[in-house]
Amino acid sequence: MDIQKIRQDFPLLQEGGGKKPVLYFDNACQSLRPLAVIEAVERYYREQSACSGRSMHHLGEAVSHAVEEARAGMQKFLGAARKEEIIFTRNTTEGINLVANSLAWQPGDVVVLSDKEHNSNLIPWQMLARRRGVEIRVCPSLPDNTFDLEAFQKLLDGRVRLAAFGHTANLDGVSVPAAEIVKIAHRAGALVLLDAAQSAPHRQINVKTLDVDFLALSGHKMLGPSGTGVLYGKYALLEKMEPFLVGGDTVASSTYTTCEFLPPPEKFEAGLQNYAGIIGLAAAARYLQAVGFNAIQKQEEEINTFLTRELSSIPGLKLIGPADPRLRGGIFTFYIEGVDSHRIALMLDQMANIQTRSGQHCVHSWFNARGLRGSVRASAYFYNTLAEAETLAASLTKIRKVV
Amino acid sequence: MFCIVSFIVLSILGIFSASNRRLAREALDCVFRRLTLRPCNTGFDEKMKAKILGVVITRSERAAAFLNKRFEVLAWIFFVILMASSIMGVRGLYLFYTTGSCEGLNSPNFCVFDPTGANNEVSSSGVCKANQESQAPLSLEGLDLSSFPERNPDSPDQIVMIACYHCEYSRKAYPLVYSLAEHYGANLIFLHYPVKEPTDYFSRLAYCVYQADPVKFWDFNEAMFSGKKEQLDDPAYIQSMLTGLGLDAFGIDNCTSSLQTRQAVDAQLKEIARSGFYGTPTVFIGKEALVGPKPYRVYAIALKGLLYWLK
Repeated sequence: MDIQKIRQDFPLLQEGGGKKPVLYFDNACQSLRPLAVIEAVERYYREQSACSGRSMHHLGEAVSHAVEEARAGMQKFLGAARKEEIIFTRNTTEGINLVANSLAWQPGDVVVLSDKEHNSNLIPWQMLARRRGVEIRVCPSLPDNTFDLEAFQKLLDGRVRLAAFGHTANLDGVSVPAAEIVKIAHRAGALVLLDAAQSAPHRQINVKTLDVDFLALSGHKMLGPSGTGVLYGKYALLEKMEPFLVGGDTVASSTYTTCEFLPPPEKFEAGLQNYAGIIGLAAAARYLQAVGFNAIQKQEEEINTFLTRELSSIPGLKLIGPADPRLRGGIFTFYIEGVDSHRIALMLDQMANIQTRSGQHCVHSWFNARGLRGSVRASAYFYNTLAEAETLAASLTKIRKVV
Repeated sequence: MFCIVSFIVLSILGIFSASNRRLAREALDCVFRRLTLRPCNTGFDEKMKAKILGVVITRSERAAAFLNKRFEVLAWIFFVILMASSIMGVRGLYLFYTTGSCEGLNSPNFCVFDPTGANNEVSSSGVCKANQESQAPLSLEGLDLSSFPERNPDSPDQIVMIACYHCEYSRKAYPLVYSLAEHYGANLIFLHYPVKEPTDYFSRLAYCVYQADPVKFWDFNEAMFSGKKEQLDDPAYIQSMLTGLGLDAFGIDNCTSSLQTRQAVDAQLKEIARSGFYGTPTVFIGKEALVGPKPYRVYAIALKGLLYWLK
């Protein structure tokens, strides 16, 4: 992978014009966008700008075709059996909410979560608990924050309806053993939902091989436009699910009192969609596939290994997650005892234009359970370089001497 | 404390920049919360501290470490300095408005609103200088002003002006003082003191004109101050001016040479020297002595108070 050539594709990474170079280490929030994606979005607005699946004119047809091509592209990206299993959403959060609100629940049903879920994979289940009497069981992680399969198995009984886990945790970059989890859960009669917001951008996922029931991802974390995402669901399950967001484009026909829902995925895609975003998302998927996930993972591991080595010796710096950087992908999350994490992030930004995330990263539950105020998260992607990691390490070392 | 300082500074900077206005609003929210004994939860103080440290650390780690450790104390110090300089600034502005100098009436110290010190400049002679050096207080107490030209003796307000026809500063001040006296019907008492010329001829001339015609004396005074300074040394000009005013130029000329006039003028000059004045123009209004050509408002405030324009 020629990083310098790849970096040319990203306008935000271009230097010159008197601007300080941006060292972007907040990819777990959103990634940067390559020209291919920007141009795809721009092309839609410039040359099409019409609805998909509604109008018969040639512009409408062109957009419909582009959207179906995008759906097929995402099917290929995820290794799904059919493109009807691909539902376009605004983000992972919407995908998870769709599952939570569309599955048929009975009071007493159980949902199993890990102890470090993003609020998007926690709050929908809390609402379900409140409204439908569903019970939430939290599977504790091992002391190094890796997944405890044994603890998970102990939580399974006949009442567990769904196990919903972050495939890769946004907190610390640790991935769960998804294949094993699916096998164990299915044996216990439970469905599995994977929050793939942090995994889909960084590794090859094949939903057929995994046999996962649902998988939600965000386009804006994988080079796609903001406000895009995909929910994958096995067709047999989606067919039986009642949509929770309804309206135009979800029905084949309606009377004043009844309606006839379309089959998946349309019944779950209410209203006009973000066509520009969908087209851009497909462009992003193609771009990632061209770069290659092996190369992506290799680059991230190299950077994380460097950061882990350089920063672990800083006094008072506590790493969140296992010490082995190979278990954390491109994410390096830490806190310095007695130092506000926001201050560190702001100083990094001010000193060297380094963009990191600070706070509780929407995983308040994990921090509150441990009495921690927050942390700094540096999340790398394939266009980050070792030189940038060196700058980050040097800046943090300087900061530690001062605060 | 930092929030208060930031709010003040950012409010001023916010006049020129939208981003500073946004920060000023955040600071205000923080200040409001602190004033109502609630913690600041906007994170504004942390944000600003981090930004400042981020800038300083790139220049000096030691300075950044010091700043980090002593941030609150430094904020307090800065706040006190800011308050003190604001108070002094407001005081200076007030004093400049009321007295023409930032440091008070007749102060020769530098004033940013009057950088050349024009409001306090005087012309002085050897005698005057001696008074200035002795720093004798300026006062009309115990002085007999009855022989000096005066314009409106029945008025309760009195203005005494010591000026010199050749003195640039007197020439600047006289029209303002005359206009003030005219506007408020004050009694203007005038004495010509020769600080710029070695002769007291003009003092005798003024004395004689006043003796000849107390009413036309003021027209004469105006002509002396408003005409070209260089012409004052031309006897033909003086004669022509006196004639033009309807005065007996020949008679006045004789008057200036008489021994009686000399003695009378000497007595006047000695009398006014007792006031302690050290240069022209010096204007006494009430108990105040205003030295140098002040702006009109300063004379007016001395005469009628701060709200002079309402009277």
